[in-house]
Amino acid sequence: MNNTITNIMAFIIKFAILNSLILIFIGWAPKTYAAQDVPALSPEEIQSYGERMYREGILPSGEPMKAFVSGDIPVSGTAFTCVSCHLRSGLGSIEGEVTTSPTNGRLLYEPREPFIKGFEHVPSFHNYAVYFPVRPAYTDESLAELIAGGIDPTGRSVMKVMPVYDIDDSDMAILIAYLKTLSEKPSPGVSENEIKFATVIVEGTDPVAVKSMIAPLEFAVNRKNSLSKASETNDRVARMGYNMLGPDLLKKRFSLARWILKGPSSSWRAQLDAYYQADPVFALLGGISEGDWEPVHRFCEENQIPNILPIVDYPVLSDKDWYTLYFSRGVRQEGEAAARYLRGMADLFIGRNVVQVIRDNRKGQALADGFREIWADTGHAATIDIILKEGEQFSQERLQQIIADLKPAALILWDDSSALAAFDDFADIQEGPGLVMASGTFVGESLWTVPEKSREFIYFTYPYRLPHDDVRFDISVRKVLLGKPADNFDRNLIKQSYITNELLGKALMDMRGEYYRDYFFDAIGMMRDEYYPLYERVGFGPGQRFVSKGCFIVQLGKGEKPKLERRSEWVLR
Amino acid sequence: MKHFCLLVALFTFLPGIFVATGSEAGEGRYERSIQSVAIPDVVLVNHRGEKVRIKSLLETDEPVIVDFIYATCTTICPILSAGFANLQRKFGQEIEKVNLVSISIDPENDTPKAMGEYMERYQAKPGWDFLSGSRKDVDRVMKAFDAYFRDKMDHQPLNFIRSPGDGKWLRLYGLMSSSDLINELQKMRVK
Repeated sequence: MNNTITNIMAFIIKFAILNSLILIFIGWAPKTYAAQDVPALSPEEIQSYGERMYREGILPSGEPMKAFVSGDIPVSGTAFTCVSCHLRSGLGSIEGEVTTSPTNGRLLYEPREPFIKGFEHVPSFHNYAVYFPVRPAYTDESLAELIAGGIDPTGRSVMKVMPVYDIDDSDMAILIAYLKTLSEKPSPGVSENEIKFATVIVEGTDPVAVKSMIAPLEFAVNRKNSLSKASETNDRVARMGYNMLGPDLLKKRFSLARWILKGPSSSWRAQLDAYYQADPVFALLGGISEGDWEPVHRFCEENQIPNILPIVDYPVLSDKDWYTLYFSRGVRQEGEAAARYLRGMADLFIGRNVVQVIRDNRKGQALADGFREIWADTGHAATIDIILKEGEQFSQERLQQIIADLKPAALILWDDSSALAAFDDFADIQEGPGLVMASGTFVGESLWTVPEKSREFIYFTYPYRLPHDDVRFDISVRKVLLGKPADNFDRNLIKQSYITNELLGKALMDMRGEYYRDYFFDAIGMMRDEYYPLYERVGFGPGQRFVSKGCFIVQLGKGEKPKLERRSEWVLR
Repeated sequence: MKHFCLLVALFTFLPGIFVATGSEAGEGRYERSIQSVAIPDVVLVNHRGEKVRIKSLLETDEPVIVDFIYATCTTICPILSAGFANLQRKFGQEIEKVNLVSISIDPENDTPKAMGEYMERYQAKPGWDFLSGSRKDVDRVMKAFDAYFRDKMDHQPLNFIRSPGDGKWLRLYGLMSSSDLINELQKMRVK
């Protein structure tokens, strides 16, 4: 018996030695990872270092992570970060039929089955789960082997689609500790039976605008809650709701609080903190301000609270901020579009002046800033800017003086409708600029009453789908008003909030019960472009934070009931 | 006995080796076909903000590889772009004789600035252009390649290699390894 054991032991030892020789022979040098305690760092330091590795590809030492793609080609980890494929929440991505698997600890350390437990019969959950091959639960060692060696616990190589990273054991322990925190604790504002939302309203905003913003949101919340309630007693509704939403989202009720901000914007932060501490919400829906929004943006950023589609003219423009999704770059986007349109006529402006007449208020300045930035990017000489002080009327005399002194090739007018009268006799002026560009949203309804003889040379920026093309969406407006007269509301704002509703519903369904704030934005980023009311095209994408990127350049057509006529495409380059 | 152990070890390991390679081959499997492409005469803008007449860029005496990507993609595009980056690394100076052209399928978002940052991330060298333009013009280019995606979320892993000899395009469908792409490029060059 002892001999037998000895023989077996000898065989195992020889076998192991031979295995090693064979591995060396075929050129494969396994990198082993000894699971160890996370280095003696505070939880905050581990979170911070791990997050930096995950999101930026930077090691705790400050050096870039070393990565290899296709097995042997060295690349910088900063070019191939974890977040660029597995997304901020770590819950992975899906585009069409191409998926990237979740990489958060909670799901990595569970075996993966071709179904999601508790949701086996929900079509969307089922379709998602079958994309991924089954595998056993990861351990720290097998996860390290995947990250450093490109082999998953089934022995499958992922090196064709994922880099491998050369990380020492200590840094690997930090990264693994960070992955374990990703999408682990449920986000605030979500409980077993409820998801809480709020909308922020700046006191003093036009009451029609406020009720136009809020009516569609309340419609959506009430409709969802009615569905949940009906499903408790009506089997047919329950089946439909189960298939559409899954049992978890179907059960949850929504609530929408109004957070009203009073006084100067410098005092808003304290008010927002107080609202949030009293009753935390999962996300902010919509919101409205006629002026500042930055304190709300900063509040969301610092508390990691999503805010989708506030109705504001002056969004915070940032390449890095994450937690607010805007409709567009605000009025500035019109200025940018005007510059791009003129850029297409480059020959007209060689050696000639472009003059901006700018109302000295926030709107005028934002439009002018947008124009100036794009114009400068194209290598043109700086614009000549003429500022209209508060109360100063832009007169015909002033216009004639500008033409005589500066001989502009184009005149850009960033003022309200009161300035348009200066152009009434413009057609008779000799050697005037070839075109005049104004903001369609700044002049407002006066856009429709431009005198016939001025229509040939005045162009407008128009950041919406043309009205005669958008009528097909009026049914959406009527639906959310529940029979109330549409004339009592601002149709554009109703349509904007309608988009907010649609987005919310789709995102929550796509989240498949993973109610994490970062995943909320990850889910929105994976949505297809949409043809919603108001905007010609609404587009998403991972990390994209402005859903409408377009703006038409238009002219008013001829006749007593003129239409707007497009002079450009929706997006100009 | 030694021979026996070696045989046992080999047979024990072979399945493992086979599984690993087989699985990689599965991921790296791709389809190839030859097609003609009538390049539309449109002007796009590259990641440096320069206007580029795409017909002139693609119809040259040097080989050209085209793919369709977008700057915020998290699935296919990083792999396609890693392929281009690897080509540039592997071939060094020689790759400058091959034009690499990535065309945006998200022209609304892919401004020269966004494309420039993307190219920086992949450490792109001269010889690799990332182009965007109006939706209409980009659609015309996609349709010409029989690679039209109504939405960027529908996109597919495609590489196209143009043979300077006869102007035909080799269409490669699937996630390819760098070595596969290099092999295909070399085959086209030999022709």
